[in-house]
Formats: sequence, structure tokens, C-alpha cells
Amino acid sequence: MLTAPPTNSPLLQPARPATLRLAFPPDPASVRAVSGAIRSFLAEHGVPEKELFSYELCIAEASTNAITYAQGRARLLQPVAEALFTPDQIELRVTDHTPGFVLPEKIPQPSPLSDGGRGLFIIQSVMDEIRYLRGTKENILIMRKRRRANQASAAVREGAAASGLTLEESHRQLNESKSDRASLAGELSFRSETLSAIFRCCAELGRSDEVAEGFGKRLLVDLFHLTTADWCVLRLLSADNRSLVVATASELELAFEPLPLPLAGESPHGIEVTVAATKTATRFDLREDSDRTEPLRAIGREATGLVCPLVFGGALVGTIAVGRRGGDFPLGKLQDEVVRVFAEFLAIQTVNLRHHKEEVRQRVFTRELEIAQEIQHLLLPRTLPQLEGFGLAGGWQSAREVGGDFYDALAVGEQSLFLMVADVMGKGVPAALFAATMRGLLRGLAARSDDPAKILHGLNRLLFAELSAVNMFITAQVVHVDLQTRLMTAASAGHCPPLYVPPGHHTVLALSTQGLPIGVLPDTVYHSVTARLGEPCTLLLHTDGLTDTRNATGKQFGQKRLMGWLSANAIAGHTAAALRDRLATELNRFRGNAAMDDDQAFLLLTEAHVGAALATNSRGPKLQFQRGSFLFPANS
Amino acid sequence: MKIENQGECLRISEIQELTAVNSAQFREDVSAALPGSPPVIEIDLAQTRFVDSSGLGALFAIYRATAQRNGMILRLLNPRPEVEQLLELTQMRQLFEIMQR
Repeated sequence: MLTAPPTNSPLLQPARPATLRLAFPPDPASVRAVSGAIRSFLAEHGVPEKELFSYELCIAEASTNAITYAQGRARLLQPVAEALFTPDQIELRVTDHTPGFVLPEKIPQPSPLSDGGRGLFIIQSVMDEIRYLRGTKENILIMRKRRRANQASAAVREGAAASGLTLEESHRQLNESKSDRASLAGELSFRSETLSAIFRCCAELGRSDEVAEGFGKRLLVDLFHLTTADWCVLRLLSADNRSLVVATASELELAFEPLPLPLAGESPHGIEVTVAATKTATRFDLREDSDRTEPLRAIGREATGLVCPLVFGGALVGTIAVGRRGGDFPLGKLQDEVVRVFAEFLAIQTVNLRHHKEEVRQRVFTRELEIAQEIQHLLLPRTLPQLEGFGLAGGWQSAREVGGDFYDALAVGEQSLFLMVADVMGKGVPAALFAATMRGLLRGLAARSDDPAKILHGLNRLLFAELSAVNMFITAQVVHVDLQTRLMTAASAGHCPPLYVPPGHHTVLALSTQGLPIGVLPDTVYHSVTARLGEPCTLLLHTDGLTDTRNATGKQFGQKRLMGWLSANAIAGHTAAALRDRLATELNRFRGNAAMDDDQAFLLLTEAHVGAALATNSRGPKLQFQRGSFLFPANS
Repeated sequence: MKIENQGECLRISEIQELTAVNSAQFREDVSAALPGSPPVIEIDLAQTRFVDSSGLGALFAIYRATAQRNGMILRLLNPRPEVEQLLELTQMRQLFEIMQR
């Protein structure tokens, strides 16, 4: 139980109210029970007997109104009665679900001969202050009675008696102290209410990700309460920065159309748009405004109020308009300040919220990349076919989280191989999915034909519809190698040519092949070209990421350099894996500090040197999958 | 609540409260007793701890019913201070003869 603090306790010590909150079924017996319960609650907190009748009466009157005037389905909803006790003040609240009413500044005395209409008059007479906060689904009647002044005067009287002051003197002191305290307490309580309202809004915003949703309700309760407004409209700048869109409004009919903002050179029209354009708060009084097209007239022809811009870091975020439907909107300096503080707070919150959403979007995007990466991880073959006498190794490196480059190799019988290197023009999950599809299709098509041209034709026919639907295409090189005859047959779908060393040569040649990428035309015809591999065998299939590798000065690695490098290294008799490692090292060395701007994938087929090759190739390095590092499948 | 015809007056007493819960019943019971009632009606509010605007409405209805009968006197007896203040506040005090005894 709370006890009254010493009467000279500092004003700054905020008292947390003891609260009783009762939702009750909408019938008279429950109203009676609730008003009795609130009486007992206040009695328990030391409210004297002679005051209790008044509070009980006010709760009874307000609650009776709440159940009497509810309509339709709202009749089933439970009103709520609350009592908030501090030694300074007793606040009673009744939340109703009625259509609400307009609380006049002063409720006239009903005739003693009238049948009813006494409830509100009684409340007004008994309490110091009443407010009626109207919302879309519920309204709150707030009734307050201040109590500090009584206690303060009692204390001064006691003090005066003890110090022997004259009665007049003590009265004068009493009055001074009362008025000082009253104004200071008034201001302090106002500021603390503003602050706590903002905290409540913060909490609300933390719970929902919509400014309108979370803030709307609190705005009604708190801003209305603090400023005596009876309507408000919060507008936020649209995503395209071209209009002000209603984010929340106190009543449904106030959810106006978006207001277009003036283009450069145009002068603004309408109060909210002008406030947005000038970023300057404006008070308005429609009674003095002859403009019939003013959008705020939807509130009422006699509406008055204040429109504040929501500005963050100099940039417009939106506007907030509050006021009264009819008559003056009595904004004191403090209330005025509250609206501005709210506007400032809202601007910050809105921007925060947008950043938060952006962050979430970014996180989703990153997750998508991770998924794509996982898919791609599975795309590259874990093991490459190992045919006697030959070594096969693949290298892969991606510039981004998701690469569109991949390779595959497929043994056909014991003496021949299909090799494929491809580049899906696109990124993210779709690219990885196309790559996966293509690997599957290659396996199916390779069973039916040894001709790379026919395989590319089949791939194009099967993938064209899907690729063209998403504006993607794939370049690919498919090579069939007969290891016994050392004949290779190659066909290209817009892909860079395979590099190889022909018989009797010491330098590398490019096998010129031509064809449209897969997904460009529905029925592309490809042509195969045949060449013989020299001994020892050296064949490199690659994507253009290798030749396009740039160093810090912007110089490309280029096909010539790649051919030169391969010529120089092919004759050294390296295993496929060793050659692959050397090529990867060479590409990274060339690139230096420059950022990678394309993916790289390649396949190397070499002679397996007796002894050494078998020993080192039996088990490849562990799979690595890191951005900017080469991926080496286990088999090499 | 008790309604007694004491010959000279109709006495209504033992009213715990007059609220939205019981005011309609109160009004009906008293109205039902009026036709054969003596000219003086006394409503004893000594035990009435709580009255709300519905209760006031019921008192007003009885006032109107008695005012329509010539020579009838309606007295409110022993209202508690809070109830009397409420009658004062709503200017209904002037309608009734209020007595403490």
C-alpha cells in the first residue's frame, strides 16, 4: 500500500501510480460491482471516506454511459474502468466502445426537471479535469482530481502554527507556494507525460514494423491527451518521393488520397503540401481559409490545428497534422512544443524503421546468396572421372558469392570423355539452378550421342523456353575426347575456344568453334570441329573469366598470355592437378591487388605420368569454398 | 427495501442504494403503491450509501408522479451528506422536502 509522502517532498520525485484496471461485462450489475471495487481500492490507498462517494459516482456514471451507448457488435465488448492513484492526483478512466460524442468545453447544468443527462455534468462538477479521447474502435474518458494542493496547504498551516507566523502571513506564503508549485508541477508533469508518451510510442514501434500500425493507436491516446486535439493525420513521404501518403489517421474518413508534391518550379498547393515543401510548421484555421480545394477540409469546415513537417537530417520524411474539428485548437507553448517533439521523434523513428527494413532485406539477400552458394557447391563435380593414362583437374573461383561458371566431366565407356565448361549469364539462385539442370541434361544427352554439336542443340532446345523467360543465356563449350585415338570433337555455344597442343607441336593452339549461346534462339544449329591431341596431351577448357582477368593497371590477362603460359608449362610434364594449381597461382599473381570482377572455371586434361602422377592424384586437396579462393575438387 | 403504509404516510425505507441496478425496480414498486397511498410519502435515505444518476432519475420520476396528484407531499428523510450534496449539485434538492429525523 502506498502512503502519502512527506508534504515537502521534492516535486521532481515522480510518483508511480497505483493502478486498478477492471474490464467488465456490459451490464448494470457489473458497473455497480466495478464502481464499488474502485471505491475500495481508493479507500485502501487512504482516500478519505468523504471523497470516496465522488469517485465511485464518476466511475458509475462513465461506465453506465459506456454500456448504454454501445451499438451493434460493440455491445458485446467489455468496457474497462481504471483508477490510477498517486498522492497528488486521482485519475479515473473508462474505455468505451461507443460511437463516442463530442465533449463540450463546459457541460451545461441540466434542468432539475429533466429525466436524464446528469452523468457527465456530475463528473464535470466533481472532478477537476475531464478529457474524452476518441479513437476508431474505442474512446477513453479520463477524469482527474488533483489532491496535492490540499496536503500542501495543510502542511503550510502546520508549519505556520509551529513558527508562530501570523495568519495573514501564512496565508500569503501558502498562496505563493501553491501557485509556484502549481505552475512548476504543471509544467513538469506535462513534460514528463510527453516523455513517457514518447517512450510508450517507442515500445509500440519496437513491437511492430509499421509506423502506422503501432504508432496510430498511441498517437491517438497520447498526442490527443496532451494537446486536446480530436483528430490527427500522419503522412509519410512515398517511396518515389513524389507524394505524401497517409500512414495513420485518427478516423477512417480521414485516410485521404495521397497528396502529390510540387515538381521543381511549381508552387505548393494545400496546407500539408506547403508545410512539406517549406519544411516549416504552420497553424491553420479553416474558418479563415476560403480555399475550397484544401484537402484538410475533409475534417470539417471549421477545423483548426497545426501541421508540422517530419524532417530527418534535413530531408523531408512526412507531415503530421493535429487539431480540433470545430473551434479553436488551444495550443499553448508547451502543447505546441509537444507536437514538434513528436514530429521530430516520428521522423527519427520512421527513418530508423526504414533502415531496419533495408537491413532485413539485405539479410534475406545475403541468405539467398548463401543458399545459391550451397547449391553451386553441389554443382561442381566432387570427383572427376579418372581414365587410365590421363589426369583431369578442374579449377573454379568466383568473384561474387554466386558464380555462374561451372564445369563438368563425364566418362563415356572406358576410353572417352565428355568435358563441358559453361557460363550462365545471370546470378543468384536461378543461375545455379540452370547450371544444375544443364549438368543433368548433359548426362542424358551424352548417352544418345557422341557429337558435341548435337548435345548443344539438345541443351538449347530443352532450356530455351526457361532461359528466354528470364532473359538469361548460357555460353558453353562441349568437348568429346576419344583417348585411344586422341581425337577431340568440340562444339561451342558462344564460348571461348578450347586450348590444346596438337601432335608434333610445342605450342598451344585454340580450336576455333562458333555457335550462338544457349537460350538465344529456339533452334540453333551447332557445328562440331575435330582436332587431334598431341602427346603428351594438354587440353584446357575455360571460361572467359581467365582471359578477362585484370590487374591493378587494368591490363587483361588475355588469350595470348594464357596460350603462352600453357605452352611453357605443358612441356614440363606436370600432372593435371599441379598444372591447375600453377594456373590458379599465375592468375592470382597477375591480378595482384585488383578485385576479381568475373568468375573463373576451367578443366585441364593432361597425360598422367607413370608413378608420380598416380601417387599425387590419388587424393586431391580438401574441398574449399571461399570467396576469392580456388575450389579444388577432390579428384585431380 | 421496505414500503409501509403507516396510515398517515407511505414510508419507503431500507434502501441500500439507488443505482442503475435497482432504480427501475424501485420506481415500479413505489409507483405501484401510489394509487392507494396516503397524501404524505417519505423516502428514508438513512441507509442509502450510494446514489447515481439513475437513482436520481428514479427519485425524479416519483416526484413527477406525486406532483400530478393534488395535495401530495414527497419528503426525503435523512439523506447522507454525500447524497444531499449530489441533490444540491443537480439542483434537485429544491424539488424535495428534505428532513433529518
